[in-house]
Amino acid sequence: MNDLVVARHQVNYEQKAYWRNPMSAVFTFMFPVVFLLVVGTSAGNSTIPDSTLRYNQYLVVAMLVFGLIAACYTNLGIMLSIRRDSGVLKRMRGTPMSVGSYVGGIIGSVLINVMILTIMVVCIGMVGYDLHFPFHPLAVAVTLLVGVVTFSALGLAVTVLVPNAEAAPAIINGIYFPIVFISGVFYPIANNSVLSRIATWFPVRHMVNALVGAFETGSGSGLQVWDLCVMLLWAAGGLAFALTRFRWEPRRR
Amino acid sequence: MALDDDTVISVRGLTKSYGSFRALRGIDFELRRGHVLALLGPNGAGKTTTVEILEGFRKRDGGEVSVLGIDPSRRDRTLRSRVGIVLQECAVEPYLSVAEAITQRSYLYPDPRSTDEVIDLVGLEAKRDARIKTLSGGQQRRLDLGLALVGNPELIFLDEPTTGFDPTARRESWDLVRGLCAEGRTVVLTTHYMDEAQALADQVAVIAAGRVVATGTPDTIGGRDRGETTVRFVLPAGVGLGDLPLPNGLCPTVRCGAVEFSLPDATTLLHDLTGWAVTHGRPLDGLTVTRPSLEDVYLALTGEQADR
Repeated sequence: MNDLVVARHQVNYEQKAYWRNPMSAVFTFMFPVVFLLVVGTSAGNSTIPDSTLRYNQYLVVAMLVFGLIAACYTNLGIMLSIRRDSGVLKRMRGTPMSVGSYVGGIIGSVLINVMILTIMVVCIGMVGYDLHFPFHPLAVAVTLLVGVVTFSALGLAVTVLVPNAEAAPAIINGIYFPIVFISGVFYPIANNSVLSRIATWFPVRHMVNALVGAFETGSGSGLQVWDLCVMLLWAAGGLAFALTRFRWEPRRR
Repeated sequence: MALDDDTVISVRGLTKSYGSFRALRGIDFELRRGHVLALLGPNGAGKTTTVEILEGFRKRDGGEVSVLGIDPSRRDRTLRSRVGIVLQECAVEPYLSVAEAITQRSYLYPDPRSTDEVIDLVGLEAKRDARIKTLSGGQQRRLDLGLALVGNPELIFLDEPTTGFDPTARRESWDLVRGLCAEGRTVVLTTHYMDEAQALADQVAVIAAGRVVATGTPDTIGGRDRGETTVRFVLPAGVGLGDLPLPNGLCPTVRCGAVEFSLPDATTLLHDLTGWAVTHGRPLDGLTVTRPSLEDVYLALTGEQADR
């Protein structure tokens, strides 16, 4: 059987399973939307430093990053931990399905979720906060794609660190939230502050920078090459870690 | 390893350790096409480790293993498409429907059964469009079995397939397994139910402490066919042992008013006893004639290991 055909079917089934269990959609879709509507309205029209965007417009982009990370890293980490514990992953390994088709199907489904999220969040921004349609749509698309690859790879990698499904949310969010805070997802952080220097080591800050850059007015392609390179470095590291250490079966008790 | 066409599984000198624990200490057996092999043994004896090595989930430390002529540790995809696996834990994405889960699986195989055929085979017609998480435990196990059969496998591994089934569902599953063998498929079964092994298996292998301690058919394993027959009945009131027509040298044991004889061949004794009972008009209450059951043999073979 053709791996691509199998992966395409897998996308289909992943989508069905995803939307039938709305809990996983809460962080990806509900949180950014509600946050935008509540905080965005009270954020006012002040502009933020080093940018042409107003604060509430910046928030639109930042919430897109938040949702993307929830859709990739958090969702994948928790879902794979549950599937590993319940034996779904082991069972998959007993069929002729290739790991590539399986993971490809999962990431394909995540890509669909991110596209829906992008349309939702950008529409809210354009209608509610005068956000201009991205000045560099191609750069936005490339940045989102690099984001999906990076945070999906990190979702696979964090699954290695999770001992069992019950511990998954605590470990996965415990890593994620501090980094999201210092990376300026909820409020802009000046580029030379201590927090931003720490955040520079992690991929979230670079994702925010790259996406903000693609939304801003300005000449050039809008691609923030340095930020994208750092993210891809994290993607490569995460993937290498996952490939060498991934467990398909629950830990023996 | 050279195999003739009829040998589906060949295992020689298989060893496996987890740390310092020697789970398998040299397992040997062979399985022929169209046969059902039941692996019996106490928990922790090495059944599941053996099966998981054959399934390709675990790597062996030593010995030779061939499944359908292929070494399963190579994780060959062709081999996986010819083998169906039912694991102990039931594991299916809970938010799909029964039909969706089966259809999803069917894309993976070159020559799959149709979804409706599989649903029919495992008797889940009424649950066709139900979400898997709404199924009962027994129904989920049946779906599990169905999923293993989607690819028309030549060889099927069933790890405790009927645990938690009601008696009717068990009988239906047995019929299903018999049907698979009639189609020329080969089955490896692990079970704790001796009646299941008795009903299904052509071959039985008892594993204890990482070794095969006995192999044979369910009727002959452990010298079961040569074991003594036990005749038991309640002594009629006012009748002494001396009143009965007993052969010389036969020592009965008397327990709670019941007499018990163990002897290699009970034909003559039964003839004499029942003749006496009819002549004297004194029925022999609770008369039973038993041979060692598979369970008796199993318990004797596994000894104190069974307590683990």
